[in-house]
Amino acid sequence: MNSFLRKNMVMLVAVFIMAAFLTAAAQGMEKQDFVITLLRGLAVGSITFLVASGFSLIFGLLDVLNLAHGTLFMIGAYLGWTVVVRPDTFVDLLTPLALIISGFALGDVYPLLASRIRLGLSMRRFLPWGLILVSILLLGFILPRYPIAIWDVENYAQSPVTFAFMADSGARLPVQPAAFTEISMPLAVIGLLLASILGAFGISLFDNTPRTVRLSWKNFVSIAVALVVALVGLIFNDQLSAYLYSLNSNWLFFIAVLVATLSGVALGGLMEATLIRPLYSRPIYQLMLTLGMSAIGIEMVRAIWGRPEFVMPKPAFFNGSGEACPATNFADWWANHCSTILIFDGRVRVYNEIFIPLVGLVVLISIWILLQRTRLGMIIRAGVQDSQMVEALGINVRRVFTMVFALGVGLAALGGVLGAPSTGLSNVMGESLLLNALIALAIGGLTSYPGAALGSVIVGMIQQFIIKYGQIGIAIPFTDIIFKPTPPLVPASTVMLMVIVLLILPNGLLGKKE
Amino acid sequence: MENILEVQNIHTFIGQYHILQGVNVRVPKGSIVALLGRNGAGKTTTLKSILGLTPPREGKVIFNGQEVNGLRSFDIASMGIGFVPEHRAIFRDLSVEENLKIAERKKGDYLRKKDFIFTLFPDLQRLIALPGTSLSGGQQQMLAIARALVPDNQLLLIDEPSEGLAPVIIESMMTAIRELAKESTVILVEQNFLVASQLAEYYVIIEEGRSVQDGKMKDLAADKAAIHRFLGAA
Ligand SMILES: Nc1ncnc2c1ncn2[C@@H]1O[C@H](COP(=O)(O)OP(=O)(O)O)[C@@H](O)[C@H]1O
Ligand SMILES: [Mg+2]
Repeated sequence: MNSFLRKNMVMLVAVFIMAAFLTAAAQGMEKQDFVITLLRGLAVGSITFLVASGFSLIFGLLDVLNLAHGTLFMIGAYLGWTVVVRPDTFVDLLTPLALIISGFALGDVYPLLASRIRLGLSMRRFLPWGLILVSILLLGFILPRYPIAIWDVENYAQSPVTFAFMADSGARLPVQPAAFTEISMPLAVIGLLLASILGAFGISLFDNTPRTVRLSWKNFVSIAVALVVALVGLIFNDQLSAYLYSLNSNWLFFIAVLVATLSGVALGGLMEATLIRPLYSRPIYQLMLTLGMSAIGIEMVRAIWGRPEFVMPKPAFFNGSGEACPATNFADWWANHCSTILIFDGRVRVYNEIFIPLVGLVVLISIWILLQRTRLGMIIRAGVQDSQMVEALGINVRRVFTMVFALGVGLAALGGVLGAPSTGLSNVMGESLLLNALIALAIGGLTSYPGAALGSVIVGMIQQFIIKYGQIGIAIPFTDIIFKPTPPLVPASTVMLMVIVLLILPNGLLGKKE
Repeated sequence: MENILEVQNIHTFIGQYHILQGVNVRVPKGSIVALLGRNGAGKTTTLKSILGLTPPREGKVIFNGQEVNGLRSFDIASMGIGFVPEHRAIFRDLSVEENLKIAERKKGDYLRKKDFIFTLFPDLQRLIALPGTSLSGGQQQMLAIARALVPDNQLLLIDEPSEGLAPVIIESMMTAIRELAKESTVILVEQNFLVASQLAEYYVIIEEGRSVQDGKMKDLAADKAAIHRFLGAA
């Protein structure tokens, strides 16, 4: 008992302070305000946690501060939005993307190929760059000519804002399907495949440590999958689009979450394998690279989706309205799928304030099980402490690095798409969330998984309670003064808390001493 | 006699520092070879160069007749080399059992070797569920050695196992090393000459990144002057 107290001292103190804070916060407001604010804090905490936990896993194991993490969160949101609002655009993109991925899916084949060809020294230096250049030129030629039906950022009637608004109100703007007019289909398909193979081969040539590679059928599964996806997307393009348009909003939302998360996973894996990996011995360059990618990502989002903010339509499951709404109890809610439910007479938005925290909780537990109960999790926990020793045991740590990077980015993308119907989409959503996540991690402990969860919830709570008190004001005791915290206090307060925590506990609440 | 490992004139750089400047080590199959030398001589770097953790820039490392320098560390280790790093580097966040299980190279390695490991280190069985942090120094060292015994390793690289341990514990550590050396070949880095001389049949002295002398341990033990010159101990 005694040792339990000592070991979990910080945790207990943190819980105690949280409880005290919440009790104090509860004094000055109505019960329903308190409950709603608490739930909102949990919701913000959940989204923050999805970004923070991935960031912290990546930093813990790979020692990479991925400053592009917020941008990847944003990209998840925009991709999910696209699937829901313009399924036809998503279908049009499937084929070229699958073709580009298929070359990289050949992975282990390239080192084998490289070991077969004998090259002079200058050729060895030149070849990778040459291949990558050819690949980029091919992509640059084909992609702008590839037919993709898309919105028009310049034209308000056809802009993402309009499409989002129409989709949200249940109506769809008519769309014009794209067709191969500027380039012939076989040329486009073969060209993209070739560009991808040349590019992937070129990148693999940078790494010339000899390896023992044994090819098996497993090496060809992923390229087979990619090629099948590409072909299906090409041949059944119209049918697929029509099918997605015919789906109800719940299924479409589900697919959007899946697509955004998996795209995050793929993007993360690709990013680690191609850009991050060559720079492990030069961490400063790595840091600058992630910062640069963040900026590039934001510019790309601006170019494709434009600058205005918009929201992703909520799935009908959480968006009911009418006579019976807001629901007063769960059975009622289930029958009508009201967008709001009354808790202690306060209107709680079901998607924003109940569904999001629930998903956060499910992810929290799933990753916890992955870390504690699987061999991969064991390797990750060991690698966070000493990845060199893990490698010395005969484990391919680099592969685990790629997986963890992919997982981390996947979580961020999940956070993005999940938050999109509640907080909306904007070009700056990533930056502000990354800042929140960094503060949460500083408070909770940079490489501690429970710390990421605790820090995120604390940050979410504090922000929401200050916003609430900004509306209702705090009655200062023994005076008639009512103090209203102003909006700038929201970020300032969490930064201040971070400073206080770090002054007392330099490793954060649950961080380990190094 | 057949050599399981030959290190041939390796040069290793860490950053721009030229740390190893010509190290040669021959390890006959089934023997214990001690790497001796003062602090900072390059003993640990030699072990890490064999495993490719600090890959040598020149020279060769030949394991079982196959050139392994330039391969990735996990590939080299998977050929059957176990590493017991200095400072008892076990995984603190993992339980004792997880520390052993993580070393599996084939499914079931741990179950197969369990009995052998727990006969060598009976303490560990009792502590199996505890986190690595709650072990004493001696227990951590035993765990670090036990971890290298889980997969089928033909060669063990053990770095300063007696460092910072109490004499009684060193005693039982030596018994364990003698026992496990019946099953595999060992390269032992050891500052404590008494320990090294009782365990090893051969020695290599490393000085300022070079191997300067090697031979049979019993010859060195008789040569007090050499011991004093190279190791600063009598
Ligand atoms: N990471 C490093 N950076 C710079 N120098 C290092 C590093 N690791 C070891 N060295 C240097 O290499 C030399 C050999 O170190 P090491 O192999 O650990 O010696 P030993 O194990 O014999 O005590 C020492 O002079 C040490 O200072
Ligand atoms: Mg050493």
